[in-house]
Amino acid sequence: MNRAGLGLGVALLGVVLALAIWPAGQARAPRAGIQATLAVREALGGDTAGFARARAPRPLSFPEDHGPHPDFRTEWWYYTGNLRTAAGRHVGFQLTFFRVALAPPEPPSAEPRPSPWAARHLLVGHLAVTDTAGGRFHAASRTSRAALGLAGAQARPFRVWVEDWAVEGEPPSALPMRLRAADGEVALDLELSTSRPVVLQGEGGLSRKGPEPGNASYYYSFTRMPARGVVRIGAETLQVSGLAWMDREWSTSALGPDLAGWDWFAVQLDDGRDLMVYRLRRHDGAADPFSAGTLVAPDGTARPLGAGDFAVETLDTWTSPQSGVRYPARWRVTVPSIDLTVEIQPRLADQELLVGPRYWEGAVTVAGAAAGRPVAGHGYVELVGYGE
Amino acid sequence: MRRRLARIAVRQLRRHPWSLGLAVLGIALGVAVAVSIDLANSSARRAFGLATEAVTGRATHQVIGGPSGVPDEVYRRLRVDLGVRPAAPVVAGDVGAPDHPGRSFHVLGIDPFVDAAFRPYLGGEDAGQTRARDLLSRAADLVARPGAALMARSTARDLALAPGDELAIDVAGRRRTLTIVGLLEPADPASARALDGLLVTDVATAQATFGAAGRLTRIDLIVDDDARLARIAAALPAGVELVAAGARAGTTAAMIRAFQWNLTALSLLALVVGMFLIYQTMTFSVVQRRPLIGALRALGVTRAEVFALVMSEALVIGVVGTLAGVVLGVVMAQGLLRLVTRTINDLYFVLSVREVALDAVILAKGGVLGLGATVLAALAPALEATSAPPRVVMSRAALETRARQATRRATWLGLGLFLAGAAVLAAPAGGIVGGFAGLFLVMVGCAAVTPGAALVLLGPLHAVAGAAFGMLGRLATRSIVAALSRTAVAMAALMIAVSAAIGVGVMIASFRDAVTRWLEGTLRADVYVAAPSLVGNRPDATLDPGLAARLAATPGVARASTSRSVVVPGPDGPVHVVALDVDPARPPRWRFLEGDDDGIWGGAGDLVIVSEPFAHRHGTRAGGTVRLRTDRGERDFRVGGVFYDYGSSAGTVVMSRRAYDRAWDDRAISSLALDGAPGVDVDALVAALRARAAGGPDVVVRSNRALREASLEIFDRTFAITGVLRTLTMAVAFVGMLAALMALQLERAREIGVLRVLGLTPRQVWGLVTAQTGIMGLLAGLLAVPGGLLLAGVLVLVINRRSFGWTMPIDPSPSVLLQGVALAVLAAVLAGLYPAWRMATAPPAEGLRDE
Repeated sequence: MNRAGLGLGVALLGVVLALAIWPAGQARAPRAGIQATLAVREALGGDTAGFARARAPRPLSFPEDHGPHPDFRTEWWYYTGNLRTAAGRHVGFQLTFFRVALAPPEPPSAEPRPSPWAARHLLVGHLAVTDTAGGRFHAASRTSRAALGLAGAQARPFRVWVEDWAVEGEPPSALPMRLRAADGEVALDLELSTSRPVVLQGEGGLSRKGPEPGNASYYYSFTRMPARGVVRIGAETLQVSGLAWMDREWSTSALGPDLAGWDWFAVQLDDGRDLMVYRLRRHDGAADPFSAGTLVAPDGTARPLGAGDFAVETLDTWTSPQSGVRYPARWRVTVPSIDLTVEIQPRLADQELLVGPRYWEGAVTVAGAAAGRPVAGHGYVELVGYGE
Repeated sequence: MRRRLARIAVRQLRRHPWSLGLAVLGIALGVAVAVSIDLANSSARRAFGLATEAVTGRATHQVIGGPSGVPDEVYRRLRVDLGVRPAAPVVAGDVGAPDHPGRSFHVLGIDPFVDAAFRPYLGGEDAGQTRARDLLSRAADLVARPGAALMARSTARDLALAPGDELAIDVAGRRRTLTIVGLLEPADPASARALDGLLVTDVATAQATFGAAGRLTRIDLIVDDDARLARIAAALPAGVELVAAGARAGTTAAMIRAFQWNLTALSLLALVVGMFLIYQTMTFSVVQRRPLIGALRALGVTRAEVFALVMSEALVIGVVGTLAGVVLGVVMAQGLLRLVTRTINDLYFVLSVREVALDAVILAKGGVLGLGATVLAALAPALEATSAPPRVVMSRAALETRARQATRRATWLGLGLFLAGAAVLAAPAGGIVGGFAGLFLVMVGCAAVTPGAALVLLGPLHAVAGAAFGMLGRLATRSIVAALSRTAVAMAALMIAVSAAIGVGVMIASFRDAVTRWLEGTLRADVYVAAPSLVGNRPDATLDPGLAARLAATPGVARASTSRSVVVPGPDGPVHVVALDVDPARPPRWRFLEGDDDGIWGGAGDLVIVSEPFAHRHGTRAGGTVRLRTDRGERDFRVGGVFYDYGSSAGTVVMSRRAYDRAWDDRAISSLALDGAPGVDVDALVAALRARAAGGPDVVVRSNRALREASLEIFDRTFAITGVLRTLTMAVAFVGMLAALMALQLERAREIGVLRVLGLTPRQVWGLVTAQTGIMGLLAGLLAVPGGLLLAGVLVLVINRRSFGWTMPIDPSPSVLLQGVALAVLAAVLAGLYPAWRMATAPPAEGLRDE
């Protein structure tokens, strides 16, 4: 996307729920639902005073823009991917780093604080591993202030980390990137490269979230990153390779008052094309006009899609036994301009994250036809704002 | 028949409203004292538990460092490199609140983003009410805003503070300001109470507040796996240790418990005196109705029925008195709680308890104590009334004969109790409880020998009184012997109360004397400079080094030496270490229990001296070693001597500054001792030093004399509660005396009537009655002198040593003893005033009407 909303929501909720829910038990507490209900709308409405806003497209340069943009309130580094062992065993992963400003940027005149703990930013990490063969979904989170080397983000050399979870880029271009994270049952250590240029989302990287100026984010992606490395699930260490997707976004924006949430689809097709669409959902379930997407050709050229350029139809639902929330579970996505119709199906029904805020983010398979020829693929889907 | 017996009981109770009222008052006071102390103690204890839990939270282990704390880097290493989770940093300390005199706060600096696992109430278990957005902005404010703090809603209400308001705090003399950005409001009232007196800040704010950037007080961990613990311990640098949580609180709790045990024991003393009162009232009621009981028995009323009659009367008194006592106890608890809390604050722990927690168990316990005491006290008179054959019961003379026989038995019993008490006291394993059990045995023994001893003393008194006042004088002493069955109990009760007063008085006087001499030996410089300590004598604050150097260079200062007072972890909990920079040519003049301080002040070798409480607590002897955790790891220090010390009941290890600097990387100083050059006026020097210190952080500059006075003031404050208990016990004894004398004198109406008819003037009746009560008071007072000294001996040599670890020479100052005797005589004479007035003014015919 638009994970503008998601990112902000996830990050803020992560903080809120780390505070409010954690002690109720490790994650799977029924109270989480109540809290999230309370929190999503609350968390997304924040004071934007004192922060920079995304008002107009600007040129991006790398690796600087891989690094943090502390004048904006929220920022994230979002990695998802579908991996396989040589024997064909499928593993999905998500590793996300959120940066949330705790206060607007300080005036230069401000007196420096004596304690090395002094911090103005918070970093939140989310890790999820989908063990398709084992039928298990593992999720965990990390939260830390950006201080004392506990967590932080920097451009040169590119590094974003929360405690022992990190993404690091090879200087000088920050590519390839190395992802490392572990928690309990699962661990991953992956190297992500790219053969395609960066995709600037929206209007040259400016992605609008609503009608008012400034309610927008800077948003770019690497939509097809060959990934290889090691994933550990329980006692098994798997050599894996596959394709990953990186989303980068920073903003000081809020979710509009009439929006309930969003459904986000990122698909890598076997014909070499990548498709990203998001549907902003209104409270009555209808799609908001600011819903959008991007179609990336095999040569890396990107074409923006407006709300009228695609359709998403829900074919099935799944009710979470943990939270009791009902999510859509199978979709038909059509892009009439290229005569594309695909069915998207979750690898596992239960890929619900309850490590702070509640949302569903999972690996999916894709199958259908484009211009009369069969097409297949895989990707990730994110569902936010259900059950509220 | 049963109904008729009940009517007899009711009539008895109604016919003697005075003795009834006094018995009720006595038992009520006894129960009230016991209940109020119990309530105050348990409220303080509960607050302590909650406060410790509030601060320790759910941590199972803590990483702690030396005097300067734990470097930040240790936390980063644990969390990032070793993946130890949950782990939470804590920077904590106490601060004053200059705008709210008398209040102090515990600043708890935490990381709100990782703390929920430890102290969930801080994050807001009340999230159901608080909006999630508010929680986030609160956490964000706490971290991002310098000086941001949270406090309990109840505290904010008391101080009339609201979010956004500033709160001035005093950190070791430096004035700082915190901003209240939010209120904590835990759902359950217990947690809310625990948060009272807490200021929650971010780690960064706490480090800035205490000037401790880069240092943590501790790191809290939740680990239940031994292998993991071992890995963590192995990864820690020298001077940083992994300890079980609660080890620190445990030591403090044990000391507070010892203090509270002393209060409980003293409060039970009041109840024991109250018991005598019931015993006396019931004996009186039985004795007075001997003819009636005899007649009833002759009419066929069974023993069981008579027994039930007497017991039911006692129970009515017991129930009414106990109920009144419980109510009174709750009221008194509020006042006592303040005293208990103040002492705990002075000596052990910053505690904020402002309301008495009404515990049903304690109230029930008070009820059982009161009724139990009643039953126990009424048992003897009830058995007495039923055991005798009907005819003998009617005879008063027989009773007095038996009383004299009983006196002999009681004396033997008393001697037996002494032996038993001595045996219990001698058993070293008895601990504080054993000490008090022994003490009670000895006290009851004293009470038991009182009648016998009084009879012996009455011999010479009789002769003296006869020589001085003639027939009337002899009459006064004779009548005491003649009515021994009642006078003996009254005297025993008074004796017990006065011995308690004397015993506690001698103990306090000896203690004060020892402390005064100890202060003289310890405080040898002319002027002392220290950062203001928040409370009492706890070593927290440090002195600004630049300021210290400036002050030492003040004209008129001949010599300066420094002292550093820190708490370092030891294998058995924290140890108070004092490092003194002493001129070896002018060592402090301390008194040593064993060994000496030879060679210590030069600073060569790891040589220390330890205080008596330390030696007692840890079983350390001169020539032994003390193991301390230094910044270079664990190290053994050789003990040169054990010195008398009353500064800390936890005990103190003293070493030279040079030895300290070798072992710890702490260059701070806590206080400065300055000697004036010859001819320099101390008060002028103090003024000069104050002027020089002005403008910088607050420091306290005190002359030797002022410091000594301040120390004694704390001492006196500590014993204020003991004094209150002593007074309460005396009050109960006074009521007892009054009741006994009233009964006695009213019963003698006939005898007095005869004397009046024989020509005794009302004035002479006054004289007779007053002489008699005065003699009883004098006897009780005289007997209370050895009793009180015995009690003081046990308190000083056994109880104090077992509770606090220190001993002191017993100083039986004559003034305390005289005071005790005077008190007894005064109480007796006062108690005799009303009966005397009634005797003297009643028309003689009234007393003779029976005839």
